[in-house]
Amino acid sequence: MDQPTSPPRLRPAKLKTDVAIDIIGMHKWFGDFHVLRDINLRVMGGERIVICGPSGSGKSTMIRCINRLEEHQRGRILIDGMELTGDLRRIDEIRREVGMVFQHFNLFPHLTVLENLTLAPIWVRKMPKKDADDIAMHFLRRVKIPEQAHKYPGQLSGGQQQRVAIARALCMNPKIMLFDEPTSALDPEMVKEVLETMVQLAEDGMTMLVVTHEMGFARQVANRVVFMDEGQIVEVNTPEEFFAHPQHERTKLFLSQILQ
Amino acid sequence: MKRGILTFGLAIAIASAAFSASAQTLNAIKQRGALNCGANGTLAGFGLPDAQGNWAGFDVDYCRAIAAAIFDDPTKVKFVPLSAKDRFTALQSGEVDVLARNTTWTISRDTSLGLNFTGTNYYDGQGFMVRKSLKLNSALELNDAAICVQQGTTTELNLADFFRANRMKLKTVTFATSTEAVKAYDAGRCDAYTTDASALYGERLRVANSNDHVVLPEIISKEPLGLAVRHGDDQWYDIVKWTHFVLLNAEELGVAKANVDAQMKSDNPEIKRLLGTEGKYGEALGLPNDFVVRIVKHVGNYGEIFERNLGQPTPLKIARGLNALWSKGGLQYAPPVR
Amino acid sequence: MAAHTPSGTSYVRAQAVAPLPPPLVESGAIGWLRTALFSGPLNIVLTILSGALIVLIVPPLLNFLIFDATWSGADREACLARPDRPVVGACWAFIRERLGYFIYGFYPIAERWRVDAFFVLLTIGIIWLLAPTARRRTLGAIYFFVVMPVLACVLLLGWPAIGLPEVSTTQWGGMLVTVVVSGVGIVFSLPIGIVLALGRRSRMPLVKLFSVIFIEFVRGVPLVTVLFMASVMLPLFVPEQWSPDKLLRALVGVALFASAYMAEVVRAGLQAIPRGQYEGAMAVGLSYWRMMGLIILPQALRVTIPNIVNSYIALFKDTTLVFIVGIFDFLRTIEAARVDPKWATPVTSTTGYAFAAIVYFICCYLMSRYARDMEARLTTTHRR
Ligand SMILES: Nc1ncnc2c1ncn2[C@@H]1O[C@H](COP(=O)(O)OP(=O)(O)OP(=O)(O)O)[C@@H](O)[C@H]1O
Ligand SMILES: N[C@@H](CCC(=O)N[C@@H](CS)C(=O)NCC(=O)O)C(=O)O
Ligand SMILES: [Mg+2]
Repeated sequence: MDQPTSPPRLRPAKLKTDVAIDIIGMHKWFGDFHVLRDINLRVMGGERIVICGPSGSGKSTMIRCINRLEEHQRGRILIDGMELTGDLRRIDEIRREVGMVFQHFNLFPHLTVLENLTLAPIWVRKMPKKDADDIAMHFLRRVKIPEQAHKYPGQLSGGQQQRVAIARALCMNPKIMLFDEPTSALDPEMVKEVLETMVQLAEDGMTMLVVTHEMGFARQVANRVVFMDEGQIVEVNTPEEFFAHPQHERTKLFLSQILQ
Repeated sequence: MKRGILTFGLAIAIASAAFSASAQTLNAIKQRGALNCGANGTLAGFGLPDAQGNWAGFDVDYCRAIAAAIFDDPTKVKFVPLSAKDRFTALQSGEVDVLARNTTWTISRDTSLGLNFTGTNYYDGQGFMVRKSLKLNSALELNDAAICVQQGTTTELNLADFFRANRMKLKTVTFATSTEAVKAYDAGRCDAYTTDASALYGERLRVANSNDHVVLPEIISKEPLGLAVRHGDDQWYDIVKWTHFVLLNAEELGVAKANVDAQMKSDNPEIKRLLGTEGKYGEALGLPNDFVVRIVKHVGNYGEIFERNLGQPTPLKIARGLNALWSKGGLQYAPPVR
Repeated sequence: MAAHTPSGTSYVRAQAVAPLPPPLVESGAIGWLRTALFSGPLNIVLTILSGALIVLIVPPLLNFLIFDATWSGADREACLARPDRPVVGACWAFIRERLGYFIYGFYPIAERWRVDAFFVLLTIGIIWLLAPTARRRTLGAIYFFVVMPVLACVLLLGWPAIGLPEVSTTQWGGMLVTVVVSGVGIVFSLPIGIVLALGRRSRMPLVKLFSVIFIEFVRGVPLVTVLFMASVMLPLFVPEQWSPDKLLRALVGVALFASAYMAEVVRAGLQAIPRGQYEGAMAVGLSYWRMMGLIILPQALRVTIPNIVNSYIALFKDTTLVFIVGIFDFLRTIEAARVDPKWATPVTSTTGYAFAAIVYFICCYLMSRYARDMEARLTTTHRR
């Protein structure tokens, strides 16, 4: 194995403004159902935010609004100073800057791992194939699976697939990374390898929004923890305060349930 | 509603056909460099491609004769194979200039369909094929016989009419296709097989031992087959009509493919008028005066066309019968050239 | 038993068990016979019945097609029963003499090499595009979809300027027409079908409405009607000089018809693609068309390959319907030739239809065989 002793690091792309994400008075409905209500959240460049809350509270919906997988109906969302509107070119531009990792990986099963990684750089960033391959191999080394480059996703374990998914997002050189329960679909022994990768990413200074129930991860890397319930942000605090002195009744109940 | 639209479409078609009459079919053909001829591609002896893919047949030769009259070249014909269903639309819409597809001349087709029939080039009619061993001489002896016939055809209706009119008892055995009907007849399921005589001779070849079967002389229905053109262009109507008549006159006067050059020097005034050495009858049709010479030289006279495609040299071996000249006991009779 | 450790209830295997060959009844010929053919009363009955059926059908078929057949001869006399030859089988001599007509139709004999050249070009294209080991597929696709059609047009229709006399489509026929009609249907139905399927799932109401109306209308009408409308109704309303060529009209009709069916096949494939694939593609910044072209369609088409090939096989056989509008396809040339007085005998029709059946069977079998191989290849390499 030609694996270097310490994995290579890469500075995340620089944000143009100090505020990475600014969500102001945002509402969203699914039909009649008011799923997000008056969401206000400002994420500074380099900040790591962990979002938690009971099932159905709207965590996924909120971070999916940030790269327009869902459309919000009221309020404003600004990504690095650019406002999200219906303008398709603007949406494409924002998606290029915001990487996303899903619970179920969503790798492309008909492409090899390497092709999964180089697809967007080649077609969206118009990168020459050679350069895209180099970058892809760089990130595969970083998530510690360069030897899997020519396999298909179906031939990898869940943990390996999720690391490929992280590498895929990183290949676009994003300024912000969104994670939606990246470890919930994994067997327990694979959760660790994925969390390690995410911790590393945090150490590199990536701006991250992570929906997760991994409280250990929250303690270790989060600058702030956001607690959501019934479509609202109920409490925002540093991890120390959040776990030691939860303020809201719902937060206390939630913590008592999951820390049992 | 649907009918309304169809009728409307037909009305427009007929109106526009009438309008295009002033465009002169003959000029259009000359400009195009070829006659568009609607033909039957699947009727032995009348219209059928040969092994080389060349069109051949009795009706086909009529189109070649028209082309010969116009271009002095019988190959300047584009044949369009038409089904029984779409043949009239093809003529009405102008897709073909003339329909030479064993088409029966009836009043409704001659009038409301907007067609003009140019004469009867073949007197067809329903006939019977029976086994020789039955020793029958006439269809009138078919009382109580089982008869194979194709379902849903006028043939089936004519058969019933004929038997009722002659107070005979009829047992029909019907089939969806003529192939099945012939097979059943051959297998002995019926005593006789009936269809139009023009097809009957071809079917006879498809039974195991054709020499053991005969076609009875009676023809029990009138199926006068002829070429048809659209309403509205009288000149073109005359050309097609007189192509048929001069073929008959040529046979009557003994003008044939082999002797037409010699006949040009004939003193017989009728031959002189026919071959254009006297008079300007071709000009009146918009054709050269020697158009008959062109026709006969390239395709022969009526008798030659008949023999070549249907007669004794062919496996069909159809007798002239009703299609003999009037002077020989048949019905074929042409007005004189004068 | 020796593997058991004596102490207590817990169990630890002490010795590994070596693999043994399977017992004889399970493998070998006898085992196969027992399990496959005679495993139960129902199975035994079915085995005997099918065996009887085979014995009943196959020998007479072989007798007719091969042993009693007439292989050469000049005309119908050769295929007639004689006292010294009471049983006559297939009249292959007839097929031999008419083969040129079945392949080329009315195409002038001197120009038939052009049709041969077209068949060669087509075969090259098919192999280049479909052979699993072929190189440079993209170039192959350009050849197949752009270069070859142009060459084929020039070759078949002619171009007097470069010395190829014009051959109008009324002179085309036989296998040539069958290949052209089904080829055009096959080549055009997939892209048009894809566009229609995407249209049907589109969020734009007008696009969606048009797609739905088109698909449902065409699917609600038999092909015969589509062909009939294309060939009979059109010239009624359009003057002669504008109305397109008869074959072209049928081609358009067949292509549109096949597209509507293909659209539904593709739609089923699209529905099988999970939402996560769309989201994954959008999240890496792919635009709609790139997402469809690079992620969704490749997967959707892959799962629908068997259905696509099914439609192709159906289409290939459906093209025989063009005879309705007076176009002489392969089957129609056989039907026409079988009444030729020169060859008409009791066995001529049967021979003609048997020949048609064999040719159609070979073509369709090759198609479905290729589809099965391809499916197997894809499932082994691209498991989900
Ligand atoms: N596409 C949709 N259409 C209608 N309702 C939806 C849709 N997606 C989500 N919802 C509803 O919106 C609410 C919030 O869903 P969301 O997925 O954001 O919850 P979550 O906090 O991520 O829950 P979990 O922890 O289970 O993932 C839920 O009640 C869900 O049923
Ligand atoms: N004389 C008949 C001809 C009928 C006719 O053309 N019949 C069709 C079949 S319905 C045909 O193609 N016949 C060819 C044949 O008899 O082999 C008419 O004008 O209606
Ligand atoms: Mg969720």
